[in-house]
Amino acid sequence: MKNKPLFIATVLGSLTMSSLATNAVAGENLLGYTKGAEPLPKGSLEFYQTLTQRTDKGQGSYTALDSFTELEYGVSNRFTVSGSLIGRSVESKGLIIGGYLPQERSLGLTLSGFEATAKYAFLTPALNDIGLSTSVGLEYDTIDKHSGQDKETISVNLGLQAQKYFMDGQLVWLGNLDMETTHATRAEIAGINDEEEWPTIPEMEIGLGVSTGLSYRFTSNWSLGAETIYEIEYETEVGQERWSLFAGPSIHYGDKDFWSTLTFLSQISGGGETYENQPDSNLHLIEKTKQEVKFKIGYNF
Amino acid sequence: MKAFSPLFLLPIAAITCPAYGIQYLSIEQAQAALYPQSSKFTENFIELNSEQKQQIEEISDVRQRWKQQKVWNAYKNDEFLGWFIVDKVIGKHEFITYATAISSEGNVLNIEIMDYRETYGGQVNEASWKQHFKGVNKNSPLELEEDIPNISGATLSCRNVTNGVKRLLALYEVALKK
Repeated sequence: MKNKPLFIATVLGSLTMSSLATNAVAGENLLGYTKGAEPLPKGSLEFYQTLTQRTDKGQGSYTALDSFTELEYGVSNRFTVSGSLIGRSVESKGLIIGGYLPQERSLGLTLSGFEATAKYAFLTPALNDIGLSTSVGLEYDTIDKHSGQDKETISVNLGLQAQKYFMDGQLVWLGNLDMETTHATRAEIAGINDEEEWPTIPEMEIGLGVSTGLSYRFTSNWSLGAETIYEIEYETEVGQERWSLFAGPSIHYGDKDFWSTLTFLSQISGGGETYENQPDSNLHLIEKTKQEVKFKIGYNF
Repeated sequence: MKAFSPLFLLPIAAITCPAYGIQYLSIEQAQAALYPQSSKFTENFIELNSEQKQQIEEISDVRQRWKQQKVWNAYKNDEFLGWFIVDKVIGKHEFITYATAISSEGNVLNIEIMDYRETYGGQVNEASWKQHFKGVNKNSPLELEEDIPNISGATLSCRNVTNGVKRLLALYEVALKK
């Protein structure tokens, strides 16, 4: 098994969670991608583990796993801070894309960076007509999430989160606006000296994202949701590099001790750059994949 | 064959995690707490018709989810003390069960939280929070952060319990008032 260390860690983590669920959690993500606007109460500490599997670029075999291990702390009833460790894994075969996937790669789950985020809630959804919060994050990464190659990336993320309760909170609407600015420098790869294949000149990117979704609690503890995400990215060399529209369902479980959310997203349409002989010309498959599966779990201390 | 992803083991772990809830009071215990002087409770469950449900919603501006409201009449010997009502409202994860005592004049005597299973906001069962409902009636604002304080991390629960009491006062006007 290629991901043996991750497999063992997952099993051990699972057993631990099953046996130690005494004080656990929730600053709850009802959907996989679209975030809520509810702040954590002052003094509360929550742990989150997020795993995102990205698969299928339409040709060859491609599977990538992103791991975020996060702690969030309520500084006040409106202001929270969080820190995350980022892990990356990439398995890529049978597909070479100049500038993006310069060679086949088999990278096991590797610690690659960290992210620090602060979030402030202006309005809370249960107290005001609508909840509204803003977040700012700083991310440092050393591995390119697409190729698994070495790449030093510094990103600043700005976000706006809105949340509205309907039916006493049984139905929840969520909406996000995000902007990410990135400075990235690819490390040289031995044997590849062609700037077309793997450019090492630093680049700047700006990504914009809009997402929205609904979550409906169909029975105690369990909610079904659906969300859609539109992303567009601009880069120094090529201008508009890509856009994509993803949509898909979520299932969420939450109780007083912990919560978890499982989300499946499929790329509905996309555009921008395509690779040579790309079979699905209506999708963006260079930096995105056809499917993403995200699993999140949260615990409260 | 595709590599097995451990990602798919995590939902199993999530679902097998045990959950712990707090049932504070049984019906009998809540009755004794709200009417310590009472010697007898008689069941008086109210079946609401659609017109009554609509009236309750119009008066309280709160959705009347239930067709049946579990009501008991409280007596001290033959003297009528008031109504004891068990109700449920939506919490963040599960329903919150609470009991409300309403006097024959339509004033809330107090409330008791019977079952609360949320991450934050255990303070809803503290006397210091519940006492804010004492004496409220149809003329009271019953608004969070106005006459009822909010509890951080449990805002939805506080809002829905407050709205629940507002709805029960409308029930009094529509179906209980003599």
